[in-house]
Amino acid sequence: MSLDLEKAEAISDSQLIFSMQAGSLEALGVLYDRHRRMVFRTAIAITGDSEAAADLSQDVFLRLHRFADHIDPLRPLEPWLYRMTTNLSYTWVERRQRWLRPLEDVADWLAGARKDTPAYQAEMDDSWRQVQQAVLALPLSHRGVVVLYYVNDLSLLEISEILDIPVGTVKSRLHYGRQALKRRLGLLAGEIFPELQYEFT
Amino acid sequence: MDKKSDALLRRLVKSWANRQSPPDNGRARLLYEVAHLPHNKIDLDLLLFRPQYKSYPTSSPSDWTQTLFTWINENSFQVGLKARLI
Repeated sequence: MSLDLEKAEAISDSQLIFSMQAGSLEALGVLYDRHRRMVFRTAIAITGDSEAAADLSQDVFLRLHRFADHIDPLRPLEPWLYRMTTNLSYTWVERRQRWLRPLEDVADWLAGARKDTPAYQAEMDDSWRQVQQAVLALPLSHRGVVVLYYVNDLSLLEISEILDIPVGTVKSRLHYGRQALKRRLGLLAGEIFPELQYEFT
Repeated sequence: MDKKSDALLRRLVKSWANRQSPPDNGRARLLYEVAHLPHNKIDLDLLLFRPQYKSYPTSSPSDWTQTLFTWINENSFQVGLKARLI
């Protein structure tokens, strides 16, 4: 099955899933182009690692292709993508905490204070690094809720369905996450958006 | 937290996330990987987490071996794997 790429933007996700189920790789490519930023940003906001986010994004769309026959084309695709992205990101973070983080700490120690080098510092503007650190400092379960709420603009009910947890749990995790972020980012928010500084005080 | 503070927090976190972009070669890499997937790969996720048949009635405790063989054979057909249990 061939897709007219010029008209691809007008084709709905539902039609693309039907095409993918019929074996169209072009349909998968169009779905990738359409949703890749959302998937990548969700993954990087949870993992804090751009390489991991790129790999996880690939994995999400590989699974979309692999499980295409199990996806209902008549239902919205985005919740499926969010669910797969958060699940894979959670797994990545948990595995890293368990196995890789101690090894990386040893490697950093052996290599010296790598993170203090000018090259590393130049990788990320200091203010935005603080935002990343504040988000990554949240417990994983709270981080997922915060990312889906603030980055992806999902409602409490949508987050509840995606993460398969009660709405009350979403609310409490969001409340905790908000308070933690506000404590860490209150002054920074004023620096980045000075016109709005009073909002945080 | 009031709505204005919440809006600022949203703007801050969203701005940070939106500064990140996926790699440009993502689509090519994805389609390459899909095209080179082994066709006879055993899909353990499918077998373990999405079984077509969820349960089998057993008439006695000794039927579990037959139940296991039946389950493997039926799910093997589902993923196109030719399994033969002798």
